[in-house]
Amino acid sequence: MASDAIVAEELTYWYGELVAVDHISFNVAEGEILGFLGPNGAGKTTVIKMLTGQLRPKAGKATLLSMDVAKNVDRVQGDIGVCFEETNLYEQMSAIENLKLFARLFGVQSFDVEALLRRVGLTGRGKDRVAAYSKGMKQRLMVARSLVNRPRVLFLDEPTAGLDPTSSESIRNIILEERERGATVFLTTHDMLEADKLSDRVAFMNQGKIVALDTPHNLKQQYGKRALKAKVSTESGKLEDREVILDTPGTPGAIQELFAREKVVTIHSEEASLEDIFISITGRGLQG
Amino acid sequence: MSLRIIGALVAKDLSLFFRNRFFTLITVLGLVLYMVIYFIMPKAVNENLEIGLYAPVMLPAFEQMQGEGLEIEGVESEELLKEGVTEGQYVAGIALPADIIEDFMSGQKPIISVYFASDVPEEIKDAVEVLIRELAYQQTGQALTIEISEEILGADMAGMQIPPRDRMRPLFAVLLIMMETFGMANLISEEVERRTINALLVTPVSVKDLFAAKGITGVSLAFVQAALFMAIIGGMSRQPLIILVVLLLGAVLVTGVSFIIAALSKGFMSVLAWGMIILIILFIPAFGIMFPGAVTGWVKAIPSYYLVDTVHRVSNFGAGWGDAWYNLLVLLGADLALAWIGIMALGRRFR
Repeated sequence: MASDAIVAEELTYWYGELVAVDHISFNVAEGEILGFLGPNGAGKTTVIKMLTGQLRPKAGKATLLSMDVAKNVDRVQGDIGVCFEETNLYEQMSAIENLKLFARLFGVQSFDVEALLRRVGLTGRGKDRVAAYSKGMKQRLMVARSLVNRPRVLFLDEPTAGLDPTSSESIRNIILEERERGATVFLTTHDMLEADKLSDRVAFMNQGKIVALDTPHNLKQQYGKRALKAKVSTESGKLEDREVILDTPGTPGAIQELFAREKVVTIHSEEASLEDIFISITGRGLQG
Repeated sequence: MSLRIIGALVAKDLSLFFRNRFFTLITVLGLVLYMVIYFIMPKAVNENLEIGLYAPVMLPAFEQMQGEGLEIEGVESEELLKEGVTEGQYVAGIALPADIIEDFMSGQKPIISVYFASDVPEEIKDAVEVLIRELAYQQTGQALTIEISEEILGADMAGMQIPPRDRMRPLFAVLLIMMETFGMANLISEEVERRTINALLVTPVSVKDLFAAKGITGVSLAFVQAALFMAIIGGMSRQPLIILVVLLLGAVLVTGVSFIIAALSKGFMSVLAWGMIILIILFIPAFGIMFPGAVTGWVKAIPSYYLVDTVHRVSNFGAGWGDAWYNLLVLLGADLALAWIGIMALGRRFR
């Protein structure tokens, strides 16, 4: 069984009166992708800051790769890669210069910058100043920068936010490749489909606390309602929606009745989304 | 701290500094312009007083005035004399009356008219008046009944007139050092504003590495320019080691100041605003050197005084370690204090 790459124990942080992270505990196994979900202000970024040594927890303990982060910041930071939500590249430098700078800071000896640029789809643009890049290109370069040291733990804070579908897909593929390589990925995102597709497990964070943590499948089983969605044709020829909740004692009868009484045009089953589950747990949406 | 990391950060900072066209321009332009200004300024002091003289009857004593720092030029009428003074041709004009000899002979006091331009310095006015009285005494054969005993307190710099361009030398050197404050503060402020510092602080780069790299970059930029300038204009012909030491301490001083400005600023305009306020204060001692007597003792409370004063004394008068040690010590203390304040203030911003 894989050992834990990340262990958070009663992790707590507050800014003045505001408790941003309230005694949260969780672990992430080596090679696992953990989707960390929650609305803006839930405390996700503060958790990343504590796990990456940018903030010292007010209480509790963060352990990365079996090292106490607070006591071994330099060693921990040598083994991690962080992709920030906001672009923070040296824009007057080229992509190659940005990547080579960070490779030097990490003490990376052999480093194929062209291969890395190819991986994020920036072949041929490496010598251009970053200031001339589009948002998507900058974001892909941010991801590339977080990979220069072949990190054992990768923290990605909203890596696909605001990107076009092609750029987003390219970044998702890189995340999966990194998992294949054996890296642990800590991913925060607003995109529920992305989290569902990529994550081995997801954690829902709300008001500084983790309110649910499990695989997407288990969460759907536990909190979601499967349903049959049908479109029926009325006597006047109009199309109307009908829904039959599955997995209840009355389901078979309801399905029979639907087909007996209505003229069914289309029918399909639908699973609960992670967003539905988040709303059912917290009573609020992820965007707020 | 890691030398590898500090080296990478310094290389990055220098590269970014010179990619900023504005700061590159003012750095290169400043260096070149100050040199040009220095070389086109007079390299010697004209100590002669040019005086116009209208003398219908020339007295022997007045004939002997020529030389001894005086240049006497005779004019043909009192009107021409007044015109010459008004136009700045003479610092003073002396008009002797036509009956001066008769007045002397009869024991009467002749009236000698002296004309000055409206902006003549008080000391020139006094000097000319004293000169005329002395000549009058010589002409009438009555010697002054006093003897003057002179004593110089402190270093005897009397008579060591400094050419204007050499008097400006400390100002130029200090200007070059201090202009770097803007570039350095902007570099740091941008690092915070654009959050690139966050990207650095999740790598093995520590806050100490960052300060060391910024410090080395700031000191290098300021020191190299000032040292280059002093070397080219001959400012290191006397006591070069003291000049290098004081410029290095000056570079550390402005780096500390740039840390403080960066901590106070949010963006380029804010850097310029705070920078101007602080730099105007730091420039005040340099004006005291250019215009002696323009500032009083309180100027010694400004740390840059000890930089300017040392550059002035050493490069213009050849002062040695014995004369400079106190200034160097005070400057070192100011460096440590400002660097500490800067690091504390900036450290809060980094976090």
